[in-house]
Amino acid sequence: MQRTTGAIFASPMLAMMLLFFLAPLGVLAVASVTGPEGGLTLDNYRVFLADGFAVGVLVDTILLGLKTVAAVTLLGVPLALLYWHSGPRMRTLILVATLLPMLTSNVVRTFAWIVIIGRNGPISQTFVELGLSDRPFSLMFSETGLVMALTQIELPLLVLPLIAVLSAADRRLVEAAEVLGADRWRSLVTVLLPMMTPAILAGWVLVFASATTSYVTQSVIGGARLIYMPQFVYREVGVLFQWPMAAAISFLLLVSTGIVMLGVTILARHRRLAAYA
Amino acid sequence: MTFRMTRRGFAAGAAGLLAAPMLPRRAEAAGSIVAAAFPGSWEDAYRTIMAPIAAEAGVDVTIAPALAQDQVGKMMASGGTPPYDALLVSPGQTAMLQEQGLIDEIDPSRLQNWDLLIDSAKTPLGPHVTVEVNGLAYNPETVPKPSGYRELFENPAFEGRFGVQGFGSNTATMAWAEIAKLYGGEPGDMQPVFDLLREKIDWIGAIGTSGNAIRTMYRQGEIDVFMASTGNVARLRSLGLPCEFAHPQSGSPAIPVAIHMTKGASNPDAVYAYMDAAISAEAQRQLAEPPSGYIPTNSEVDFTEIILEFVTPAQLANAIYPDWATINKHRAEWTAEFDRAVAM
Repeated sequence: MQRTTGAIFASPMLAMMLLFFLAPLGVLAVASVTGPEGGLTLDNYRVFLADGFAVGVLVDTILLGLKTVAAVTLLGVPLALLYWHSGPRMRTLILVATLLPMLTSNVVRTFAWIVIIGRNGPISQTFVELGLSDRPFSLMFSETGLVMALTQIELPLLVLPLIAVLSAADRRLVEAAEVLGADRWRSLVTVLLPMMTPAILAGWVLVFASATTSYVTQSVIGGARLIYMPQFVYREVGVLFQWPMAAAISFLLLVSTGIVMLGVTILARHRRLAAYA
Repeated sequence: MTFRMTRRGFAAGAAGLLAAPMLPRRAEAAGSIVAAAFPGSWEDAYRTIMAPIAAEAGVDVTIAPALAQDQVGKMMASGGTPPYDALLVSPGQTAMLQEQGLIDEIDPSRLQNWDLLIDSAKTPLGPHVTVEVNGLAYNPETVPKPSGYRELFENPAFEGRFGVQGFGSNTATMAWAEIAKLYGGEPGDMQPVFDLLREKIDWIGAIGTSGNAIRTMYRQGEIDVFMASTGNVARLRSLGLPCEFAHPQSGSPAIPVAIHMTKGASNPDAVYAYMDAAISAEAQRQLAEPPSGYIPTNSEVDFTEIILEFVTPAQLANAIYPDWATINKHRAEWTAEFDRAVAM
């Protein structure tokens, strides 16, 4: 009886998933194997995979996601630890500072980065003032600038799960480790990090998925010289009107990012890591 | 007082909210249409000037921003239920829309202002609402006035200071077609441009993915010159930025902008009223003033001070009108090759 009631309540969600996610995905899959004459063919995939430039774009997209994940981790984990060690006011400040950018649109955040990393922006001016650079420079249209912007934009996706985990963590575990003689580094590595690992892995999945598909940031900060898969898809759809090819490229992006995310998810479910969750 | 919400009440309320869009939209049905306009200055101008004038004629216009190519893409994907009632495009896209059977011929007798249009603005598929004259926008405080496209690639004063776009943009496509000619290309042959791009790639300050991105670069001082229309320059000036327009020595490419009625438009009467408003003297007089500064196609509207500063009627008469049939034929291969030429 309870199982039937549960199924009834879950059915709207299942119906929505079926209608608005799986069905369009099916349409996309069919479109990707549809030839010009309407028959089934794998030519779109073959053409893409035989094109060194296109495969390079796919590889660059995956690498961009991984670089962003690394940068977000380097910044997000210390920030979460600062939250763990702070008092109530500082905690509120960190939480607000993390959440505030999420309340503005991705477009606004991206355009703000144009100002920050531009020739006349604070980064360039600071380097010139400190004598670290002879003349103003721009990080626009460079991968460094793009990873910097994506790092800030995606940071909440890692920090928020970490804060959620740390807020529920038992502080006595760290105290116990210290009482038993562990120094701060050892407490961090043997107590805190294992507690944080499931959240870090969940954050990696979110950051990677968001960074690899962030069309606005990639196209505005990266410009036309740094080409990633979302731009490639847009070009096929909106400029060349090659929809079957666009569907094939979208599927390849889905599969390749899906493989990376699946790998991280499998890691998160590993017996030893899951035990800490 | 305590507000109590039962689960049943919440479910009923949520169901009501979800059903709301299905209610008959009586107020909007009287004369409402969705009209596409290019994002940025066109969208602003049409929202602030055109929509109120159309409203006086009883038409409620929703301005939907979309680039010309995007409008074509969305129309092609719509499968007989067009997302727009009226389109705003240039000849390249008009040809594609016509070829796909996505726009209807109009009945000029339904437009009161039709006879006031200059002859070149009267086309069977809809009226031209302006002619965009293209050239180079530059910052007079930081760079000398460019004599033409070629100088951008050869004068060290412009090294790293100019921005370009790919073939998704009409403005850029016309400029590249002129550059190809300057470097020895025949019509339809863009190879000289790709050779130039590969040779001088580090000479270019910014390669943007959209006109808005390039104009943002200009506003931030990242670049000082870019391929632009007179309307772009008027818009930047209205924002208080130093910006001048330079006609390339080789000639200024020009491109008419037309309004078309989509096949299957939800309210053809309202589209006619909107078209008529767009070519009326009242609308074109306002659009000819800053910040838009659009060249009028209504013969009763004079060139304003800002337009005359950029283009004289004589310059307009001598403008270059690209061969869009050739451009459309090659645009896909040029777009793909451009990506390969500029990619890092």
